[in-house]
Amino acid sequence: MKIKLVKFGEILTSREAGREAALAIRAYQKPSRDESIELDFDGVLAVGPSWLGEVLKSLNTEYGKARVICLPSDNRSVIESLNILNAEEG
Amino acid sequence: MKTDTRVRIKKAIEKKGPQKPSELVPILGISAQALHRQLKLMVGQGVLVIQGKPPKTSYALAGVADFSEAFEWLGKKIVQKNPKDKVCETRDVLIARLSPLKNLVREGLNPDDLPLLISTVGEIGNNSFDHNLGQWRDVPGCWLEVQATGNHLWVCLADRGQGIYSSLSKANDGIESEQAAIEMAFEKFVSGRTPEKRGNGLKFVKRAILGEADRGIACISGSGTIQYGSWGRECESVLKKRFARVAGTITLMAWRLG
Repeated sequence: MKIKLVKFGEILTSREAGREAALAIRAYQKPSRDESIELDFDGVLAVGPSWLGEVLKSLNTEYGKARVICLPSDNRSVIESLNILNAEEG
Repeated sequence: MKTDTRVRIKKAIEKKGPQKPSELVPILGISAQALHRQLKLMVGQGVLVIQGKPPKTSYALAGVADFSEAFEWLGKKIVQKNPKDKVCETRDVLIARLSPLKNLVREGLNPDDLPLLISTVGEIGNNSFDHNLGQWRDVPGCWLEVQATGNHLWVCLADRGQGIYSSLSKANDGIESEQAAIEMAFEKFVSGRTPEKRGNGLKFVKRAILGEADRGIACISGSGTIQYGSWGRECESVLKKRFARVAGTITLMAWRLG
């Protein structure tokens, strides 16, 4: 299941908004068992680690980390946000 | 004689910040006509830049960011009312003001840099609200101001909040000083917001600044100061001209244009 994050705004930058986005995804998207959840950043102008961290934390808890996938993006804010979130985990 | 006048004009602006011609006339003791002739020449030579539109035109040193309004706001003992155009009193206003930053591409910002610039401003600005809700010294909010000068974009964010030391100390025992607190905020995954697992925003900002040459950041909170990037010292010197210590937090970033 692909989730177009641009539907939550082209600038995604606060923990509060990230939490809300994750709750909305969990409420309205119903992937079938074992289906992966693909986060699509196409059209997003800027994302911060606060927003993305909240979304990933919530979706990983709900669906399991292996099923939540961030699709590749050229956007530097996406790349750097994922880098910092990975560094935080490591 | 004329060279001497130009030196005196430059010194007056260095000392007092951007000046209107009407303010310079009494300082220099020359006629308005003579002053305008010199100002025009200095703008042509790239020594001065014009700020604002008539009748509020003032002259500033070229290549030097001027955040005197922000400094005055932050340095006051008490502020009763925020200036609406520069201060985001709520998080919603801050987020709404991020979108117009897209126009900075017209000022010469590399379009590839725009996503990182916006997200770093968002992270720093959101910190003001995350760590100061119910803790403001007086007025709530985050000062956000952007200037383009000297081939760089300068972004100033400030708040009249509790400061980094006070915020981090509540959740982390044994922080020795305000300097140690600001270093911890930019270097380690820590936050004052226990039990929440957070604290990656400033590390993200630091990496974004260090990711390319010709960027810089400086931050002062309490007596703690930190700077990163090849333009970090420039940013620090702009802040240090006004502040040895800050009640709250002020951050200045520089991003290369063109």
